[in-house]
Amino acid sequence: MSATTSNEPAQPDLSAIARPPQVLNNRGPLWVTDAVCSIVEGKTPLWWLAAISVSGTFAAIGGACILYMIVTGVGVWGSNSPCFWAWDITNFIFWVSMAHAGSLISALLFLTRQKWSISISRAAEAMTVFAIICAGVYPAIHIGRVWFVWFLFPVPNSYGMWPNFSSPLLWDVFAVTSYLTVSSLFWFAGMIPDLAVLRDRATTKIRKFAYGLVSLGWLGTARQWRHFEMMYVLLAGLTSVLVVTVTTIVASDCATSVVPGWHATIFPFYFMVGAVYSGSAAILTLLIPLRLVYPQLKELITPSQLDKVCKLLLMMGSCVAYVYVFELFNAWYSANPFERGAFWERFTSSSSWYAITCLSINLTIPQLFWFSAVRRCLPLVVVLAILCNVGMWFERFMIVTTTLTRDFLPSSWGNFHPTIVDILTATGTLGIFFTLFLLFIRFVPIINMSELKAALPGSQPHAGLGRSTGEGH
Amino acid sequence: MSHHLPICGSKDEPLFAIGARFDTPEQLIGAVSRLRAEGYSSYECFTPYPVHGLAETMRLPKSLLSFLVLGGGLTAVLIALSMELVPSTLIYPLVVDGKPLNLSALPQYVPIVVALTLMIGAIAAVTGMIILGGMPRLNNPMFAWDLFAKDASRGFFLAVESGDKKFSAAKVAELLHQLGAGDVTAIHQEEESK
Repeated sequence: MSATTSNEPAQPDLSAIARPPQVLNNRGPLWVTDAVCSIVEGKTPLWWLAAISVSGTFAAIGGACILYMIVTGVGVWGSNSPCFWAWDITNFIFWVSMAHAGSLISALLFLTRQKWSISISRAAEAMTVFAIICAGVYPAIHIGRVWFVWFLFPVPNSYGMWPNFSSPLLWDVFAVTSYLTVSSLFWFAGMIPDLAVLRDRATTKIRKFAYGLVSLGWLGTARQWRHFEMMYVLLAGLTSVLVVTVTTIVASDCATSVVPGWHATIFPFYFMVGAVYSGSAAILTLLIPLRLVYPQLKELITPSQLDKVCKLLLMMGSCVAYVYVFELFNAWYSANPFERGAFWERFTSSSSWYAITCLSINLTIPQLFWFSAVRRCLPLVVVLAILCNVGMWFERFMIVTTTLTRDFLPSSWGNFHPTIVDILTATGTLGIFFTLFLLFIRFVPIINMSELKAALPGSQPHAGLGRSTGEGH
Repeated sequence: MSHHLPICGSKDEPLFAIGARFDTPEQLIGAVSRLRAEGYSSYECFTPYPVHGLAETMRLPKSLLSFLVLGGGLTAVLIALSMELVPSTLIYPLVVDGKPLNLSALPQYVPIVVALTLMIGAIAAVTGMIILGGMPRLNNPMFAWDLFAKDASRGFFLAVESGDKKFSAAKVAELLHQLGAGDVTAIHQEEESK
């Protein structure tokens, strides 16, 4: 009962550390609930309908292209000998990489108790799940005869055939399946308490039933929270491993081959830093406009939190720049004529503009984030972040196609030209991504309310008296 | 007995619990320690976010979930290794570039082991949390209490269940009032839930 002696035990500690506030204007837990739920409960805004019709159309066209490709054959794509991998694998790597920043923010920063990431973690996880879904489109269809896709899985069959377990392409199947499963579970399970809030607040029978079903009967009992907090720590731990393993395995697809330009031990690191770099840019691209359309988010997703994402982008962008320089140095220092030739061709052949676009963006744009004036100017941040992802797409494209179109046999050298089906399938995945993200905004709480409320100043009893539970946060 | 208390649910149905709402987590923790001191054991707390120290005050045991996840992970390691090694060494040895396939080539089997361990570990964590937390559940006697069902996120709730061997509606209600609780209510079961 000594708890009643002081109502604000957390204040002196917080001012000593002087952390920027989690939520601006000293908003309390009730305001947080209302602000976040109002996005889901309010009337469907016109911009949302307009946006989803555009993204839905692109997604539908993409779906039609995939169907056309399946019934006709991979010849409808521009991929041709020796460039058997082109936009399919480029886009696969692009999307699966983008996912990684979401896992890093929601899991790794949770484990390291970086509380600033709470407000953006839900949206970042959603981005992760949707980006993996977009990535997953390609590996399944790029094999050509889609009906043989079950060959990828080790299932006993009447042919007596088994997959090659030493192939990184098979590791990829497991890595991506596992990544999709774990991040979807992490995203959904973390959302259960917030879905229960929506269930409680629902005014129509359909909403009550739907949210009641997905919130699984959550009541927020002390027992449920006990298991929930344990689960969250465990899932964060498992997901943090995935941040490193998935891109490593994807990078092995290239690195374990003997193709000059791919056969490098730096590839896993290369892909991972590129992944977090492009994902941070994607988070900025999605969240900053969202703050514009829902003004209450300006107090929840604060400039100081976005500033930290910008710094993450800068750090990862600098790592990417380091890899570019090191890769070129290594090609020269290896004294291997094929390795040197691969990079020479990359910058001098007729398709050199991929490499030039990639390098000119990725070496310069992230470096602008050294300046706090740039990080504070949010419209500029969105433009730069979009450019970063354009740069990253060209990086993936450069790695995949310029390497394959210059193989060991100069007589088969050529260029890759995308067909209209290639282009519309790629824009289709963009459409799928944005459609899913728009549905996410409209139907589930886009901010982790329970975690945020638990971290607000004064929300915990005895805060600052050294009475933490150990497994909470 | 509880005629002076507000009643929710159906009067003819048995009493499920006496519910109370507190404004602050400190009050809730205070109430729990008092209830424990008085010898009550069948009660439940409902909070909009995890409140530090509440589980300790209630003397809740540590969650078993970590053991479940460890079990799931170890099972996954066994599944993955046998799934890879049995075909590769016994049923269908696929020699590529003359590379070995047996245990001396263990590193090549690691990525799939890692991926599967993470996947089954995560599935164990989520299903374990759901089952240990008494979910999924479509209805709950607590939903008979409108204040709780509509606004659980606006307070810190406590329900002393009628199954407690020390339970007496009048005494519990008086104790809760003493502890500064608001909206002390007798929660009867709803007819449909029978």
